[in-house]
Formats: sequence, structure tokens, C-alpha cells
Amino acid sequence: MGYFLFRRTLGFVLTLFAVSVVVFAVMNVLPGDPALTILGLDATEDALAALREQLGLNDPLLTRYVHWVWNALHGDFGISHSFGIPVAGLIGERLPMTISLAVSGMIFTVILALVMGIGAAANHRKPGDWGMMFISQLGIAIPAFWLSMLLVLLFAVKLRWLPPGGFAGWDDPVAAMRSLILPTVALALVQSSVLARVTRSSALEVMRQDFVRTARATGFSRRRILWRHVLPNALVPIVTIVGMQFAALVTGTIVIENVFYLPGLGRLIFQSISNRDLPTVQALVMLFAAIVVTANFIVDLLYVVIDPRLKARA
Amino acid sequence: MIELQDFSVSFKSGTALRQASLAIRPGDRTGIVGESGSGKTMLAMSLMGMAPAAADLSGKLVLDGRDMTGADDRGWEALRARKVAMIFQEPMTALNPLRRVGDTVMDPLRLHLGLSKAEARARALALFEEVGIPSPVERLRQFPHELSGGQRQRVVIALALACDPELLIADEPTTALDANVALRIIDLLVRLAEERQMALLFISHDLAAVARATRDIVVMYGGDIVERGPTAEVLTTPRHPYTQGLLGARPNPVAEPRGADGKRPRLPTIPGSVPTLQDLPSGCRFSGRCPVELPVCAGTRPGSTLISATRLANCHALKQEVSA
Ligand SMILES: Nc1ncnc2c1ncn2[C@@H]1O[C@H](COP(=O)(O)OP(=O)(O)OP(=O)(O)O)[C@@H](O)[C@H]1O
Ligand code: SF4
Ligand SMILES: [Mg+2]
Repeated sequence: MGYFLFRRTLGFVLTLFAVSVVVFAVMNVLPGDPALTILGLDATEDALAALREQLGLNDPLLTRYVHWVWNALHGDFGISHSFGIPVAGLIGERLPMTISLAVSGMIFTVILALVMGIGAAANHRKPGDWGMMFISQLGIAIPAFWLSMLLVLLFAVKLRWLPPGGFAGWDDPVAAMRSLILPTVALALVQSSVLARVTRSSALEVMRQDFVRTARATGFSRRRILWRHVLPNALVPIVTIVGMQFAALVTGTIVIENVFYLPGLGRLIFQSISNRDLPTVQALVMLFAAIVVTANFIVDLLYVVIDPRLKARA
Repeated sequence: MIELQDFSVSFKSGTALRQASLAIRPGDRTGIVGESGSGKTMLAMSLMGMAPAAADLSGKLVLDGRDMTGADDRGWEALRARKVAMIFQEPMTALNPLRRVGDTVMDPLRLHLGLSKAEARARALALFEEVGIPSPVERLRQFPHELSGGQRQRVVIALALACDPELLIADEPTTALDANVALRIIDLLVRLAEERQMALLFISHDLAAVARATRDIVVMYGGDIVERGPTAEVLTTPRHPYTQGLLGARPNPVAEPRGADGKRPRLPTIPGSVPTLQDLPSGCRFSGRCPVELPVCAGTRPGSTLISATRLANCHALKQEVSA
């Protein structure tokens, strides 16, 4: 067990390291001169040279990489070129928005998928099952972008039940949740449709196993067997997919935040890319990658919590 | 206590159990033998109300005076574990791998008997002791993968006994076990049946196991019960041509030496093979493979013939012989 934890943690750290190298390398071989971007086309050659020196652009690549990582580990991602304030502050302001959206998307995905998937498996080869399969097929086929516009038109413009966009923070929790509903559905419908199908087939497979027959022979109702025996055993593939989906949801926030005018990291990354704001883009790309890697790390740990057989082998 | 009267289980593809009649009384120990596909499991599952959903049931299944033929899941759920319990062939997969075996055994105690957690634990511990699990306190906390095959089968037995069933059905409980372990499990089942005054229905391919475990025996072929009587008599002087084929030339299967693998030999092969459900003859199921077949056999189902006060067989040739 200890060895397993050590191996997984080491793998996690090494992956983060590799990601940081790639992110840094890609960002720093891109054409374009940050000094020129900041000062504008009519800057003098002297001013440009001075700024390059100040930004450390004349240092060897390795030195710059080490500086970047060292500072980042201390919460310093440099100064945003376009906003002129520390990148860490920019991210800190917008992180709650993106986390709120991603987490509510994840909760929506998991709850809807488990209810639909287990419900379908319980009604295998009956109308409930077919209905769920049909709905999830639709959910997978509809593009998130188009769905967003549809949701806004129906629930915000026509029915006026929910705000069409924007987010004013968590000071007013009811308003915050209301503004999260449409973006959450738009973000997570595809993922929950996929997960519902995974849940269904995983549950059906478990239902064929001998211990389910034993449980039936012990006088348990189908419903109790479903939640007590089938669902836990169906979890391993579900958790695998959930881990990948969390990554997809986090990156999906980029599009959704732009559609719904939500002040999160997704909008920030768009703005910084169009402003060629290198430190900000670099920090954000690294952050998104780190979230994905962390999600996978957590999934690896969850396997062991779910399945005692893995603990023995780990 | 539990009785089948002309009970049939049919599928679109054919009849898996044809007009079976069987009565089990408290304290009975009955064996069922027959080649693969003869309907042994179908009969056992019917007694649990667990015949496949696609099956069409007819005839009567009476449990404690109640006709259960058309009973729904809910009706059966109230009886399983408390009236009839069942253990299966494969102890490796019969237990939920994610649950501690103690919790698995406590589940029915809490659900059916409404025991508190502490009471259920005490009962589970007593059950583990009763079925001969060493260091039961530690075992309660273990997961199935931490136990050997024999230990697991004992856990499965403890689970089946949890609510004091009146009938325990064991469907090939020892087939997946080592010979020595199998013997001990058989002796355990017999001891439990006697101590608890519990009926035992023991299904096996292993005639020696059936001889050891049961007093009466039922021989099945192609969904029919073809012969029945006291185990010792049927196995030593089989009368039905199928039973004779099943036993081969062996006068006493119990004395048969074990093979190189430590297991007793499986049933000797009868020429030909068991037809699939669609291809079963409509008369005597054994016609076509029977060495003493008569012209009447293929088209007409033989009725029961009383061979002695305690023995019955269904065979045209035998009937002529007995009445002659
Ligand atoms: N769901 C089903 N649909 C159709 N036919 C079935 C179904 N389940 C079982 N059967 C058929 O019923 C017959 C009896 O099967 P059963 O499992 O009772 O045999 P068995 O005597 O227990 O054999 P074994 O010794 O292999 O366990 C077989 O021919 C089998 O193919
Ligand atoms: S009824 Fe006919 S075919 Fe069937 S066992 Fe008897 S003799 Fe053989
Ligand atoms: Mg069987």
C-alpha cells in the first residue's frame, strides 16, 4: 500500500514536471516578441532592448524555465502584459467561477448518469431502458454550443426563468445557482449522457454475476441489490470515465464561459491569447493541465478505495 | 412442506422441466443426479422462485400449503432465506468481492430478522463457528479474496443458514473444490441438516458425493424425472435404462477409486449425447439413446411404474417387465 502510494505520487509529480517542460517550451518558441507586443510597433529599439533585459528574455532558456517554475511554486506567475497586474491575482479572481462551473457540471453529470444508467439497467429490455438509450443518444449528438443557444433562447429569452448569462459571485447564493443552471446543463449534458451509458452497461455486466444471484437467493429485492451490490461493483469503469470527464468539463468551461459571459478562467484564456499575454497564457495552460493530471491521480487513488482486491496487490 | 405437482418449465425452444412431481418433507435428504442439461438446476431454481423470466411455468408448486406457481418477486422474497435457501457451485464468485464476508452474512439477519448490528454480528459469529470456520472473529472482517475456496463455500453455507431455512438446496456445492475439501463440505451439510432438522436437496454430478449426502435420490434426464428411490438401492440396483447407463458397470460408485487428479470419475458416458431442448423426443426423452427401446417409446411418454414400495421409474420396457 505504502509502495503503491509512493509510486503513484512519484508518477504524478513526474507528469507535472513533463507537462511544465512542454508548456514552457511551446510558449517560448512561438514566434513574436513580447517586448514588441507590450510597447507597440512604434517603440524605440533602446526601449525594446531595455524591456527585454528587464523581462529576462535575454537569459538562456534553461535559466528562464527554472525561474518560471521556482516562482510559480511560490505563487508568482509574473506580471500580466495586458492587465499590468500579477497573473496570480488575475487567476485568483476568476478561479472560483470556473471551479463552481466545473464542480456543478461534475455533480450534474454524476447524479443524472447514475440515476439514468442504473434505472435503465433495472429496466433492461423494457421501455424505460429504450427511453434512456434514446435520450442519451440525443444528449451525445447535440453540440454544446448549439445547446447553449437553445437553452438561452428558451429559458432566458422566451420564458425568462433564468438569466441569459453573467455571474455575480457567491454573495447571493440563490442568484449564483440560478446563473449556473443553464451553463451547467450546456456543459455537462454530453458528459452525463456518455456516463449514463457507461453506467448502464457496467451495471448490466455486474447483474450477470454470481453474487447477484446469491443476493437474490437471500431474499433481497432487486432494488436493494441494485444499490448495495451492483452499483459498487459497477463503479470501477464509472470512476475511470468520471476522471476523464472532469478534465473534459474543465476544458469545456472555456467555450461555455464565453457563450454565457461568465468571468472565469475560460474567458481569461481567450482574452490573453488575443492579447498575446504570454505569462498569463502560460500560467493558465499549465493550470488546466495540472487540473487534468490531478484528476487522474485522484482516480488512481479511488480505485484502491473502491476495490479491496487492488489494495492487496497495490 | 414443499411440493411440485406436474410442474413444468417451458421456453420457446422447448421444455426444460416436464411435469415434475416431487415432495420434500422436513428432514429429507434428497439427491438429484443426471447429465448436464437434464434440468437439475431448473428444478432447483424453480423451488426458489428463480426460474428465468423468459420461462413459462405450469403445474403446481406448493410451499407450506400455499400455491406459489404464479407468485411474484415480492411473494418469493419473503420466503427465500427463511423457508428455502440455496448454495451454488462456484464459491469463488458467489460472494460480493467488495463486501466483508461478515457484512454479507449479516445482511439477511438485519433485513429479514430485523436484528440490530450487534445482534447480527453475534449471530454471524455463531454461524461461522457452526460451519467450522477457524478464527471466525478475524474472518468476519475479511474480504472473499482473502479466503480459500473451501472457506468461502463455508461462508456461503453460513449465509444460506442465516435465517434458519427449512430446506437447503445445494447445486453442485463441491464441484469446484478439491476432493478433500469437498468431502468435508458434504459431511458438514449432512451434519447441519441433521442437527437443524433441515431438509437438504443435493444436486451433483458426483455419484459418490450424492451417496454420501443423501437418503433418497431422483434421477433426471431431458427435463424428466426418470427414476427415484432410496439412494443406496437406486445406485446399487438401478432399474431405469438411463440410470443403468449413468452408473455404467459400476456396482458401487462409492468404492470407485479416485482418479489421478484426486477426484472421483465423472459420470460414465452413455453413447450419443443429450439432445438440445428443441430436439428432445416427445415420448420418452431417452428414446434414441436407449439400448432397450421399444417401438412405443419415441411417441408416448411412459408413466410411473412402482418397482417396490419405495421405488418408482418411468419406462415402457420396465413396466412390461414388472407387470409380466
Ligand atoms: N434461459 C433459458 N432459456 C432457454 N433454455 C434454457 C434457459 N436456461 C436453461 N435452459 C435449458 O434448460 C435445460 C436444463 O438446464 P439446467 O441448467 O437445469 O441443467 P442441469 O441439469 O443443471 O445441467 P448442469 O449439470 O450442466 O448444471 C438445458 O437444456 C438448458 O439449455
Ligand atoms: S421408455 Fe423406452 S426409450 Fe425410454 S428408457 Fe424405457 S425403454 Fe428406453
Ligand atoms: Mg446445473
